Amino acid sequence: MNISSQFHPDETMLLEFSAGTLATAPSICVSAHLHFCSKCRAQLLRLDQVGSQLMSEAKPLELEEDTFDKVMANLDSSTQIVAKVDSKRTSYPFSVSKLMKNNLVSQTWKRLTASVDVARFETGQSEYEVALHKICAGGKTPKHDHHGMEYTVVLKGSFSDENAVYREGDFLVREPGDVHQPMGAQNGECICLSALSAPIKLTNPFGFLIKPWLRINPM
Amino acid sequence: MFMHNTQIKTPATSGTNGDRVAVFKSSEKRSDQWSQLLISVGETHDREAFAKLFKHFGPLLKGFAHASRNEGWFPGLGDDLVQEVMIKVWNKAAGYNAEKASATTWIYTVARNCRIDMLRRKSNTQHLPLENEDFWHEPDEETPISLLQQKRSEDKVQSSLAQLPKGQDEILRKVYLEGKSHAEASAELGLPLGTVKSRVRLALQKMQVIVSTEAQE
Repeated sequence: MNISSQFHPDETMLLEFSAGTLATAPSICVSAHLHFCSKCRAQLLRLDQVGSQLMSEAKPLELEEDTFDKVMANLDSSTQIVAKVDSKRTSYPFSVSKLMKNNLVSQTWKRLTASVDVARFETGQSEYEVALHKICAGGKTPKHDHHGMEYTVVLKGSFSDENAVYREGDFLVREPGDVHQPMGAQNGECICLSALSAPIKLTNPFGFLIKPWLRINPM
Repeated sequence: MFMHNTQIKTPATSGTNGDRVAVFKSSEKRSDQWSQLLISVGETHDREAFAKLFKHFGPLLKGFAHASRNEGWFPGLGDDLVQEVMIKVWNKAAGYNAEKASATTWIYTVARNCRIDMLRRKSNTQHLPLENEDFWHEPDEETPISLLQQKRSEDKVQSSLAQLPKGQDEILRKVYLEGKSHAEASAELGLPLGTVKSRVRLALQKMQVIVSTEAQE
């Protein structure tokens, strides 16, 4: 779990994440990658240092007279959160686990193609469709290209395409015009988190048969 | 790796906070005063230490709140943010890990998350199943970076930030302080997005936030 991944978000994307200006859906994907990647966690810490340095150079503004008293009156040692005894690594990133809990994923898996199931998440935004995809062992997915951006993080197992094998924690970006045909590993199912900003377009001759199910469907 | 052991000493940075610079020469213990105070709050519910943190960080947090005029901003945001952040600081201080970050960095991350969530709550009527804080539950490192390395990198950030060319500095401020995305910064500055991103990369390389040999493409 602490093995650094091979494919990472670009550093400008990590910076936007650190500054909190990255949109919700890509942020979910970056947070999922960080769960697996110690190298990016270290980099993020340095980016946070940049943010904190800039904040400490912000122009200080005088507070309202009663702000200090209001805060002091609200300090209650009983509400202090005791340090976490042991922050055990769970197998799924925190943000994804929380979404799964909220969305009852186990009940919402839907068949997308013969070898791919999908479970869509409710994330309170409508720019991206955020979903889990499950590719069965050795499963082929339809060849498709992209109209918009797609961010993918492998959460479990691995899959491959024409270019590489992608393993747990790997972070992929597909840009408009990229065509690919992912394939599940032979030795087990693969679960990926993805955020998709526009419908993907199938490019195989029979693609039209399954196209309706692949339409973007933000919830 | 070999390049980064060489500390580039820059004589022009002596104007910055003297006691903080001295910290980096001391032993493997985080001894800057804010971190010490935060540890006291966490360990002994020290109200006096908390009050000192408040006096220092309160006005900075208000400045940080007012730097962003993103959707959802309202006139009372500054003092509301100060209250929310400082109460969180009190409640969470026991979980502060001085080996991982300085108090300033830790408080910055609390403030950033609070600011985003406050702005979102004001501007969004949709139910939001995730708060920004939920993105920041990274596990503790099994092999933590040494405190000394971290202090070096903080030192480096602090001294080199002051020397960035205006074009790079301006973008970092827009993104971190004003809360603008790279795309928004590019529109406001009338620069192509690619230029914004390459300036960001250059700035990060100068501050040794990213290691230049790894720069992609």
